[in-house]
Amino acid sequence: MYGTKSKIDLAFEYQSQVAVLRPSIHSRRANLTVKFQDLYGFTVEGNVDDVNVLNEVREKVRQQGRVWWALEASKGANWYLHTTIGQSSALTSSLKFSALTNAITLKKLIRKGIPPVLRPKIWFSLSGAAKKKSTVPDSYYDDLTKAVDGKVTPATRQIDHDLPRTFPGHPWLDTPEGHAALRRVLVAYSFRDSDVGYCQGLNYVAALLLLVMKTEEDAFWMLAVLLENVLVNDCYTNNLSGCHVEQRVFKDLLAKKCPRIASHLESLEFDVSLVATEWFLCLFSKSLPSETTLRVWDVIFNEGAKVIFNVALAIFKMKEDELILTHHVGEVINILQTTTHHLFDPDDLLTVAFDKIGSMTTNTISKQRKKQEPEVMKELDQRIRRLNSLRTDDK
Amino acid sequence: MATIGHNNLNAKLVGPSTPFRFPLFLSQNFVSDDLFLSSFPQVLLGDMGAGKSSLVLRFVKGQFLEFQESTIGAAFFSQTLAVNDATVKFEIWDTAGQERYHSLAPMYYRGAAAAIIVYDITSLDSFTRAKKWVQELQKQGNPNMVMALAGNKADLEDKRKVTAEEARVYAEENGLFFMETSAKTASNVNDIFYEIAKRLPRAQPAQNPTGMVLVDRPAEGTRAASCCS
Repeated sequence: MYGTKSKIDLAFEYQSQVAVLRPSIHSRRANLTVKFQDLYGFTVEGNVDDVNVLNEVREKVRQQGRVWWALEASKGANWYLHTTIGQSSALTSSLKFSALTNAITLKKLIRKGIPPVLRPKIWFSLSGAAKKKSTVPDSYYDDLTKAVDGKVTPATRQIDHDLPRTFPGHPWLDTPEGHAALRRVLVAYSFRDSDVGYCQGLNYVAALLLLVMKTEEDAFWMLAVLLENVLVNDCYTNNLSGCHVEQRVFKDLLAKKCPRIASHLESLEFDVSLVATEWFLCLFSKSLPSETTLRVWDVIFNEGAKVIFNVALAIFKMKEDELILTHHVGEVINILQTTTHHLFDPDDLLTVAFDKIGSMTTNTISKQRKKQEPEVMKELDQRIRRLNSLRTDDK
Repeated sequence: MATIGHNNLNAKLVGPSTPFRFPLFLSQNFVSDDLFLSSFPQVLLGDMGAGKSSLVLRFVKGQFLEFQESTIGAAFFSQTLAVNDATVKFEIWDTAGQERYHSLAPMYYRGAAAAIIVYDITSLDSFTRAKKWVQELQKQGNPNMVMALAGNKADLEDKRKVTAEEARVYAEENGLFFMETSAKTASNVNDIFYEIAKRLPRAQPAQNPTGMVLVDRPAEGTRAASCCS
């Protein structure tokens, strides 16, 4: 039912079993920091409590898996792939109704997590990657990678530079095989969209996609759908204008949803973009533990990029009481970093993100973006002109 | 301008676990140890792969990694440094190097009291990029900002493309101080931060009663210690 397990994930499971489950008596006593490997092979540092949380999370993942198998038994195999309504109006109303109820069930279910074994299939379908892939010949990815093989561009040079710097030490990503796979995906994408080419940050996103999707080709299509359909435009192009827009929207939302924090941080002259930029560009992959990151991505692929705001707001919200007592920028950053690095239980974060932040529709967010765009463009434009004038002065 | 300092024997890193105790009679209204320190926001700028993160990691943790994760946006570090009998706390923003991240940089250098512009001595492009940063900071940055130029990867002598002389002349002409560093061998890493600490304008005791005098040189600017004032 789950298909064959690849070499990668067997290796991970084996290693993680060994490293995680038995923190030594000494470390238990001394409450020392221990190093261990998480579900996806990342080395994590934490105390014994963190190890226990991680073990609980594993158990929850298993339980959640059982919920999915039970639904599969009652609703039929792949029921979750048939939740889109409207494409064929020939559907009978009862079928439409079942698609709708399935969509509602699925939304709730996905917020509680997709079992790791089902992730590749579900992400590929729900994100729209499958559809995107179906519009081009089957050989598209192979042809593209062959056609660009051996070509050197500024993008490929930067990619080569970043390969060993992407999650160094990871048991698969940081091997010649892992580097080669990541390189092919990033290089292929840099040729597919020359406006994006290669933007630092995509290395982490693509690496995690590779770990989940297991095949390069699927990872490539996930990257494509993410950049072309899921995220706001121009997040990674030229001057990151899309990212600037998102940051402004985020500041407004923080002021609205967490006014106490926003006004305190303003009094410290702390610009939330100082920390949130990385969250948005790497989709939390550099800040949150891997399973927590992937749980966030589960929801992003089903509900859209607005989820990034929910999660970013939740990180602040969770630490409201501590944040409003800070006196220095450094303290704020320490609180946020410690919090994100130790969010081993995804439910702690997602409960706040969806229950406490309150819902925000994609529509509201789009309106906010439209409002901010002209200002961002003006600012970036002025900056470029100032820099250019500075260069001509010099001649 | 002065170059490599040899008078840095007093440079001493104070571990984060060593709280600095200020004599009580000088400061009775203290709340926490933090108030005894003057914090200085500082920024590292430079081309991708020049070694900005490696310099910070060496300075803050005394470590070197052959492959350092690429920085996205910017990473924050803090480190305390004892200079003569004063203590300076650096709050360091280590920025992303890729050209397109340039548009984010003002957010990090806007309030900075000091900047280290880093290039890789084995790459001419990175030196060109460093000069652009200098220009930008001169026009857009805080006018009292202390600027240092770091020619990093000085251990790779056989691959050198930028001579120390060329960089020194450039630094002198532009009012920066210059050092060649190696995050790998640790050469000059603490020294460059120490040198910056010495040049920071001292806090004005009148304006900042809980602050402290940092250096025994006359103040170069009126900028008081930020953050904790």
